[in-house]
Amino acid sequence: MKRRHFLISAASIAAGVTIMPRMTFAAEGVIDVYFTSDQNVIDFWTNVVKPKFEAANAGLTLNLVDGGDGAGVAAIGDRALAALASGTDPQADLFEGFDTRVTVDGIAKGLYVDFEKAGLSNYSKINPLAFDIPTNLPYRGSQVLLAYDTTKLDPANVPKTWADLVAWIKANPGQFIYNRPNKGGSGGNFVRRAIYEVNGKDPGKFTVDNFTPEFGAEALKPAFDMLLELAPSLFDGGAYTSGNTQSLQLLGQSAVTMIPAWSDQALSAIAQGVLPETTGLVQLQDLGLPGGFTKLAVLSNGTNKDAALKLADFLLTEEIQSAVLTELGGFPGVSWDYVSADLREKFADIIPQTIPNFPSGKWETAINDGWYRAVAPNVDPAS
Amino acid sequence: MTTQAAGALAPAPAQRKRPIGLLLVAVPVLLVLWLIIWPIIAAMIQTIWLPTSDGGRGFSVSSYQFFASDPYSRSNLAITLWTTGVCAALLLVVCLPIALYLRFSDSRIAAYVQGLAIFPMFVPSIILSFAFIRVLGPNGTVDLLLNSVGLPKIKSPYLTPWGPVIGLVWDNIPLTVLILLSGLGNVSNQAIEAARDVGAGRFALLWHIILPRISNSILVAISFAVLGIFSAFTLPYVLGPAAPEMMGPFMQRTFRDLFDPTNALTQAVITFAFCILFGLFYVRSVAKNRTP
Repeated sequence: MKRRHFLISAASIAAGVTIMPRMTFAAEGVIDVYFTSDQNVIDFWTNVVKPKFEAANAGLTLNLVDGGDGAGVAAIGDRALAALASGTDPQADLFEGFDTRVTVDGIAKGLYVDFEKAGLSNYSKINPLAFDIPTNLPYRGSQVLLAYDTTKLDPANVPKTWADLVAWIKANPGQFIYNRPNKGGSGGNFVRRAIYEVNGKDPGKFTVDNFTPEFGAEALKPAFDMLLELAPSLFDGGAYTSGNTQSLQLLGQSAVTMIPAWSDQALSAIAQGVLPETTGLVQLQDLGLPGGFTKLAVLSNGTNKDAALKLADFLLTEEIQSAVLTELGGFPGVSWDYVSADLREKFADIIPQTIPNFPSGKWETAINDGWYRAVAPNVDPAS
Repeated sequence: MTTQAAGALAPAPAQRKRPIGLLLVAVPVLLVLWLIIWPIIAAMIQTIWLPTSDGGRGFSVSSYQFFASDPYSRSNLAITLWTTGVCAALLLVVCLPIALYLRFSDSRIAAYVQGLAIFPMFVPSIILSFAFIRVLGPNGTVDLLLNSVGLPKIKSPYLTPWGPVIGLVWDNIPLTVLILLSGLGNVSNQAIEAARDVGAGRFALLWHIILPRISNSILVAISFAVLGIFSAFTLPYVLGPAAPEMMGPFMQRTFRDLFDPTNALTQAVITFAFCILFGLFYVRSVAKNRTP
């Protein structure tokens, strides 16, 4: 046991004891929003959504809480389900970046608001591609694309198809790296794009409930073989970073020339100077790297349910949806007709008509396990 | 020092019953039982009492058999043992000279050296990890400095097994130095001077006078470091290679990304079994010290 750990836990227990009596009830007019997303999204809410919403709705304020990750907010969801059963206050109103399927029995017991029946004035503006189930409200999208160093690679020669990309990686050994597929979506969706490639580039082939061990082996094995063949041409002869941020850091340090990156993270990294202005972004034209829409959920038993629905509706206005593009670097959750025309024009190059979205569920487990066993161990530990 | 009495227990002195003292001890003991011992036992039971095909549960060691027969799991255990061993050896090589210097130097610089040696204790490992990438990573500070004087770049240890080794050694220096330093407090100046008077050289002094007196502290320091390193998470996760993984990231991935609590628990029990071996060294040396 390290003394540091002891001190930290002792301090946090002490802090917990002092604030405990004050945390009993959710306040009227304070919407408790829990996030699974990264810091850049919470910053976007703090700097853009919160001031605009509070200015437009006097008397309502937002309390933005970082739930850590999916599992963190899932625990709050489980607590809210228990509160629903006992008729008590869940102390939460809105979950950002959350799939309501995660709470077992949550949808069946009516824990989450059904947006088809909620009467949001902007509901019809949502991009038809983004719809999932009625308790999940898509409000922004993000896609993985390729970020590269234009000082080392002329934008005219940048690969535009998967085959070109593989040829480029092999012709320029050590200049490409992606992260471990379970540790961040940029590497994860790069791996999934490889799976599409060996399966006829048909995203429709994979659904959340069509995984079987046989089909899994048949569909994934050739993709893993292809990635393993690529490994010696990657950075350091087959190294993989442990997250989206670390890949951006290697590109920023000019250690590699190209990485897969989330569009929103890459754009905010360029805006903040983490990546230089000479960073180029490109999407594959034969089939884009996958991405997806981020959904939110509103609790039906929250103290501020009506205010939370007002907030959900507000997020779909042109004002916020345009800010998603300009401030967050994400894609709008609404159809392109509902963002301003000049933005539509400006971003036309990097935004395709469709965003392939690889299903999670058992596919995700199979990819996470299979990649580590088939692709990762090509590095000799003694080297 | 009454070394001749070691091994033979002195007769226990008659003690008054002190219920208040026992009560005070009861709180930490119960906490340890509830928060540490019980979860360990529960984990062990869960890994050998597995669901059967007819819906019930029965005794089975299949998850352990899987671990033993799976080359991927075995290589993860091997890299963990390798990292722990290399770190322990390096820690001793790095920390013993620092501790000796701090014990026998009276200069003003020693205070600064001590401050510097304790400093890693106050750096969270996630910050250390990203600083490491900046400094020792590809095109990091070291490369820039080498480049400015016309030398070639280093082969970066980032994303290789040496990444976590360097990070973990740095992170464990303070604890090791402090424990060795407290052990060196047992070495009296008279003993050193007496040895010097009969003509002992520096090496003989270290070998025959100092090391025998601090062998216990070395054992304690190494077992503390080893326990922390064996189950380390952040540094191997951020700095190490994707595969083989150390047991910490491996367990976390099995549990969180593969949704496989049984195998994650099995890995945890195996990790614990190795840690308890090192723990026994520590307990043994403490018990030896307590003997009157």
